[in-house]
Amino acid sequence: MIESAANSLSKIAGINPAGAGAPSNGAAPTTSFADVLKNSINEVSKLQQDATQAANAVATGQTENVTGVMSAVEKADLAFKTLLAIRSKLMDAYEEIKQISI
Amino acid sequence: MFDILDMGASALTAQRIRMDTIAGNIANINTLRDANGKPNPYRRRFVVFAPGQAENDPRPGVHVKSVQLDQSPLPKRYDPGNPDADKDGYVKYPNVDLSIEFVNALEASRAYEANVTMMDTAKSMFNSSLRLLA
Amino acid sequence: MYLDRLLNQGSVPVLEQLATFTEARQSVLGEDVANISTPGYVQKDMSVDQFQQELAQRVQQADSAAPGSVRFDDISTDIQNPVNGILFHDGNNRSMEQLMSDQAKNALMHNLAIELLRSQYSQLETAIKEGK
Repeated sequence: MIESAANSLSKIAGINPAGAGAPSNGAAPTTSFADVLKNSINEVSKLQQDATQAANAVATGQTENVTGVMSAVEKADLAFKTLLAIRSKLMDAYEEIKQISI
Repeated sequence: MFDILDMGASALTAQRIRMDTIAGNIANINTLRDANGKPNPYRRRFVVFAPGQAENDPRPGVHVKSVQLDQSPLPKRYDPGNPDADKDGYVKYPNVDLSIEFVNALEASRAYEANVTMMDTAKSMFNSSLRLLA
Repeated sequence: MYLDRLLNQGSVPVLEQLATFTEARQSVLGEDVANISTPGYVQKDMSVDQFQQELAQRVQQADSAAPGSVRFDDISTDIQNPVNGILFHDGNNRSMEQLMSDQAKNALMHNLAIELLRSQYSQLETAIKEGK
C-alpha cells in the first residue's frame, strides 16, 4: 500500500516510478521515493536558509526589499509545513501497516 | 514600562496650559482695569517650559515652570475723552499683539498634535508586541 | 545551555535586538517631541546606522561560528545629539518634520521585526508539536 502511495507521489513529481512499467528508453535513470524525500529535505533547508539571510539583511539595513523578505519567509514556512504533512502521512501509513496481523 | 505615555501626557498638559494662557491674552486684549476696578492695564502673560515631568520629577517629559508677565512697555494711544486718560490724554493699553498670539496658538496646537501622534504610535507598537504571544 | 542555543539561532536574535532597539528609540524620540518648545533643550537620537553596522558584524560572526553560540544582546546603543536642523533663538535645535518622519519609520521597523519574529516562533512551535 505504501508502494502505491509512493508511486502516485512519484507521478506527481514527474519521475518514472521504479519498476512500474517500462520507460520509453531503457537508459532513463529511475529515482526512488527515498531520493525524492532527501531532495525535498535539502530544498526545505535551503529555503529556510534563504529566508534567514533575507530577514538578517533587512534587519541590518542591507536591503530595502521588504516584499522579497516576506515572500521568502512565507515560502520557507509553506515548504516546511508541506514536508511535515508528508512525514505525518507516512507515519500514519506505517502505523496502519503495523496493525496488519499476518 | 509605559514611561513614554507619561511623557506624552506631560507634554499635552504643558501645551494645553500654554493655549489657556494665549486664550487669556486674546480675551483681555482691551482690558484696562484689574479685578478690583482700579485702572491697571492687562499685561501679557507667557509660560516658561522646563524639562522633567514635574518640578522635582526628573523623568523625561516637559512641564510649565512658571507663568510670567511680559515686561515690555505698554503701548499708548491718544484718547483725551477716555476716563482712564492720563494728564497728557494718553491711555495705556495691554501689550498683547494679536498676530503674535495667533502664531503662538498655531505652534501650541501643532505641538499638541505631534505629541498625540507620538502616543498613538507608541501604543500601536506595544499592541504589535503583545500580538507576539497570540 | 542546549535549549538556549536552539532558541538563539537563525534570524531570531537579530530580530529581537532590532525590536528592542526600536522600542528604546521611540522613547528618545518621544522625549524630543515632548520638549519641542522647551528653550535650551538639545535634541537626542539613537543612531540607526551604527546599530545596524554592529548587528551586521555579529551576523557575520554567527555565520562562521557554531549555530547559536554567538550572543547578540550586548550590542551597545547609546544616545547621541544629532546636528541636523537649525538652531532656534530659544536654544532648541528642533526639526518637527524630521522627528515625525523618524518616529513613523521607527514604528514601521518595529512592526516588521515583530511580524518576522512571530512567524519564526510559530514555525518552531509547529516543528515541536509535529504538526498536531
